[in-house]
Amino acid sequence: MVGGFSILLWIGAILCWIAYGIQYSNDKSSSLDSVYLGSVLALVVVLTGIFAYYQEAKSTNIMASFHQMIPQQALVIRDSEKKTVPADQLVVGDIVEIKGGDRIPADIRLLSAQGCKVDNSSLTGESEPQPRSCEFTHDNPLETKNISFFSTTCLEGTATGVVISTGDRTVIGQIASLASGVENSKTPIGLEIEHFVHIVAGVAVSIGVLFFVIAVSMKYRVLDSIVFLIGIIVANVPEGLLATVTVALSLTAKRMAKKNCLVKGLEAVETLGSTSIICSDKTGTLTQNRMTVAHLWFDNQVFVADTSEDHSNQVFDQSSATWASLSKIITLCNRAEFRPGQEGVPVMKKAVVGDASETALLKFSEVILGNVMEIRKRNRKVAEIPFNSTNKFQLSIHETDDPSDKRFLVVMKGAPERVLEKCSTIMVSGQEQPLDRSTAQTFHTAYMELGGLGERVLGFCHLYLPADEFPATYSFDVDAMNFPTSSFCFVGLLSMIDPPRSTVPDAVTKCRSAGIKIIMVTGDHPITAKAIAKSVGIISANSETVEDVAKRLNVAVEQVDKRDAKAAVVTGMELKDMSPAQLDELLANHSEIVFARTSPQQKLIIVEGCQRQDAIVAVTGDGVNDSPALKKADIGIAMGITGSDAAKSAADMVLLDDNFASIVTGVEEGRLIFDNLKKTIAYTLTKNIAELCPFLIYIIAGLPLPIGTITILFIDLGTDIIPSIALAYEKAERDIMNRKPRHKKKDRLVNKPLAVYSYLHIGLMQALGAFVVYFTVYAQQGFRPSALLNLRVEWEKGYVNDLEDSYGQEWTSYQRKYLEWTGYTAFFVGIMVQQIADLIIRKTRRNSIFQQGLFRNKVIWVGIASQVIIALILSCGLGSIVALNFTMLRPQYWFVAVPHAVLIWVYDEVRKLAIRLYPGSWWDKNMYY
Amino acid sequence: MVVPDLEEEEEEEEEEKEEEEKEEEESQAQETGSAWWRKWQIVNEYLWDPEKRMSLARTGQSWSLILVIYFFFYASLAAVVTLCMYTLFLTISPYMPTFTERVKPPGVMIRPFAHSLNFNFNVSEPDTWQHYVISLNGFLQGYNDSLQEEMNVDCPPGQYFIQDGDEDEDKKACQFKRSFLKNCSGLEDPTFGYSTGQPCILLKMNRIVGFRPEPGDPVKVSCKVQRGDENDIRSINYYPESASFDLRYYPYYGKLTHVNYTSPLVAMHFTDVVKNQAVPVQCQLKGKGIINDVINDRFVGRVIFTLNIET
Repeated sequence: MVGGFSILLWIGAILCWIAYGIQYSNDKSSSLDSVYLGSVLALVVVLTGIFAYYQEAKSTNIMASFHQMIPQQALVIRDSEKKTVPADQLVVGDIVEIKGGDRIPADIRLLSAQGCKVDNSSLTGESEPQPRSCEFTHDNPLETKNISFFSTTCLEGTATGVVISTGDRTVIGQIASLASGVENSKTPIGLEIEHFVHIVAGVAVSIGVLFFVIAVSMKYRVLDSIVFLIGIIVANVPEGLLATVTVALSLTAKRMAKKNCLVKGLEAVETLGSTSIICSDKTGTLTQNRMTVAHLWFDNQVFVADTSEDHSNQVFDQSSATWASLSKIITLCNRAEFRPGQEGVPVMKKAVVGDASETALLKFSEVILGNVMEIRKRNRKVAEIPFNSTNKFQLSIHETDDPSDKRFLVVMKGAPERVLEKCSTIMVSGQEQPLDRSTAQTFHTAYMELGGLGERVLGFCHLYLPADEFPATYSFDVDAMNFPTSSFCFVGLLSMIDPPRSTVPDAVTKCRSAGIKIIMVTGDHPITAKAIAKSVGIISANSETVEDVAKRLNVAVEQVDKRDAKAAVVTGMELKDMSPAQLDELLANHSEIVFARTSPQQKLIIVEGCQRQDAIVAVTGDGVNDSPALKKADIGIAMGITGSDAAKSAADMVLLDDNFASIVTGVEEGRLIFDNLKKTIAYTLTKNIAELCPFLIYIIAGLPLPIGTITILFIDLGTDIIPSIALAYEKAERDIMNRKPRHKKKDRLVNKPLAVYSYLHIGLMQALGAFVVYFTVYAQQGFRPSALLNLRVEWEKGYVNDLEDSYGQEWTSYQRKYLEWTGYTAFFVGIMVQQIADLIIRKTRRNSIFQQGLFRNKVIWVGIASQVIIALILSCGLGSIVALNFTMLRPQYWFVAVPHAVLIWVYDEVRKLAIRLYPGSWWDKNMYY
Repeated sequence: MVVPDLEEEEEEEEEEKEEEEKEEEESQAQETGSAWWRKWQIVNEYLWDPEKRMSLARTGQSWSLILVIYFFFYASLAAVVTLCMYTLFLTISPYMPTFTERVKPPGVMIRPFAHSLNFNFNVSEPDTWQHYVISLNGFLQGYNDSLQEEMNVDCPPGQYFIQDGDEDEDKKACQFKRSFLKNCSGLEDPTFGYSTGQPCILLKMNRIVGFRPEPGDPVKVSCKVQRGDENDIRSINYYPESASFDLRYYPYYGKLTHVNYTSPLVAMHFTDVVKNQAVPVQCQLKGKGIINDVINDRFVGRVIFTLNIET
């Protein structure tokens, strides 16, 4: 309610009251008109303020639901007793116990752990469960195995630990305070609107002051000059515009919410459109955040598995006998099980008890083979050795499902090299062959290849125990290992990865063509990160990193010219040693960048680096570790499903479906609304000249006032509101996703061509058209234009009741006043009719209206209808209310301005045609806004 | 008006850019000159850059191109507007106004009139009423009998003076002689009664082209006290005695053809008005087609003035 236009309107209101004060001190019976006007102006400011507040509040309300946190409990040993206390009552030194499924209540150092695994993804972005033990393994607290962090989850096992920090001093707490320390900068559209307000306010104030001085030096009374000043201010300030912009933005916000982009602040709607760099987190945003079988290797061949969200399309060759064996091992050597009671749920969505890899294998086999549990039942398990980190393999012994085959089947899976050690043969096309050096070599090549893709590789082998040595009654003892654990037959390899979402590569391509640079920033390993980056197209197929170039040319990394490499993979450790200048150079010289193993602070540094390049930076993320960067970014985008509360509250936008592709929709909507706001503003600014000229002519040529201040308000806040909102529904002119993002400092919302064209071309034409209507009304009533010149003084004298017109007729003061109001109405109708033409021409900035389609945007026609209806109501219905200064108008006056409206349309079509015909010409540069 | 402002805005942007570019230089410049001086220099350079021979970031060639284009653009706009106005003048007649609904019903005005409708004067102090006399004398010059006889025709009373013929033909006007006003003509009493505390006030109906009172029923004038004692006025003499505007003065054909038309008058002679107090008087027109009770307009069909005569 303060700042910008509001200040101008407040000044106008106060000037009104001052003017009344002066009038009142001179003449006690002076009319209250200026008091009303002042109050109306104040009311306008207050109402638009309330409106904007209401709109903002509505969109923030949606977010309120995200802030609900469930109070957390912790099991603590105090006074030799186990007690449950709220997590916020923990103190340093408390001993807490944790079991699978718990959230860690504070940062703790582990004293003992049994098979404990934690999910640190909210903190580091790594989706794999991290084993925890009480051994100190690394200097970095984030890397060492004996520390668990507040707000992460314990997935399985149990542990006891001592609390080492609580609350804000925990690692998460520090990140949170880092996020709250980052200041929110102004949104790009906010800056643009500010810039626009500056222009309009500059024009208003300088014209106002200039004409105040002119009026005073023309010996007008100061009081009159003040009234002129008020008129000029009111004419220049687009009162309805800020409300219109708010509505347009919230319409887009609604449209985006339908497409799963929930926008928290209205202005953020446009920010996405001007985004030039997206810093995307990997896990959960680009990837599906679950391990999935990606490749298989058997029969000396690599097969590709379908990693899409539903696994529906497994096309690899399943006819080989080797696959039959492999699939049996996959099915049997697996402890993961589906939770009961999920019959109707698709396989990929079923909940599973078990770790990520086993889950992946279970789902993989379930999809291909069908009922896995049934297969397991038929091959009864007689013994098993679960996976542990020393063995690095898992083994189980089963009866076979063939009743005639009494042999036991031993199946094993584990780290490929450990599995291979235990094998003496390898299966090729269902036949066991001795494992010689050359087959071992092919195995290694395949292993390295899959490993190089950033995938986790598992080896599988089996052994049929001879029935004579191990009869059906044989009792296996897993501790004594009374069965062979070597001379297995190697069957194949399987590799798993957290695969990219299927929609991401397409979205990345679209961002590319829209000129948006995508940088991957992840806490994950560089190899995995690079592999995912390649598979989604963040690093395109034919570009190389410095390391790749070095490898290809067979030279040392240092000798490679960095500019030869388009892509770069930078780890957190390398980033730590970089100066800001080096980072700038890196960001400027490489178009495809992946940052791996980064800490939250480094994400912040990367975002700042991008912003130094004058880029508008979007950051996507879901973890707590992302929240400082989300806040620092021009637009932070959090994931709605997997995102942590901290990320959601730091972000400006939430992707409800966690789908990176939704960002593309957002970019498109953002760009469209920027274009459409340009049109709205151009539309609104145009009539300012038509509203301003009457005052200037009134002062200089002394015509009876052509349009009143109240009437101007009825245009700005009445007839023009719905049409300018209607422009927000306009479709894009060209493919907006094929052009570069706008430059923050060069492509302004309101640029010079826009202002000049609106003010000096269309605005002036409109003013002239409206004046023709005005002169027509006066001339037909008896005052020909020549008689009007310098008539103002006599005209406004209340005591002159026999003023002669061009025909010798004599007019009383009130009759003149009434004619003046008729003039206001005529001028108003003149502007209104030409604003219809203005509305139609503003549908496009470059294309012909006929290319765009005159009837495609129905809302425009609603707008035009509203203009006409409001004008009719004002003129006919409310014409009897004296204070509004509207009168009935003869029907023919409604059509006087129509030729001018047509002229405006034709002129603009010519302008657009010249722009299309001569791109890059002087005309294009100066007339394309 | 708009161009310089926009350019001011551009100027600021320009400054920003320059500032960014010259960031290093600035740190050195801080020692030598103040920030304002530097700003002024930048503005100055923007206004006229001698190196590139540019003013306001445009070269002379660019400026002349702009001026030429705008000249032609505005010239054609002016032509369009001229065409519009020309068409307008083609459609409206110079002799008869197209519509008269806003100027009807006729308003009323009185003479003498000097900015105020309060007649305050002291009979014994000629200075207080002399200006009324001068005003009336001046107003009645056009009604002098000699002038009226020379210029206008004596037409039969009681009926419209209708002159057929083309619009653009000159029309004759009916005589309204000063002598019709008798005691208020200023011929016998050159002070129009003001010296004796019996002021004459002339009432004139606003001219409206084509206006005709109902036939056989001329518009009459009647005055009474507006608020207060009915008897404060006591008696009024009207001249002409009928207290009406004779039909022969209608219709009016407009000032272009009806050149010598003189508005008919009714003089009110307040012969015995109460002295030493303000008497509000309302004079109304009466007749068919006359409205005298419009709330917002106190001069349509009526006029209200106060007489405050001191002795």
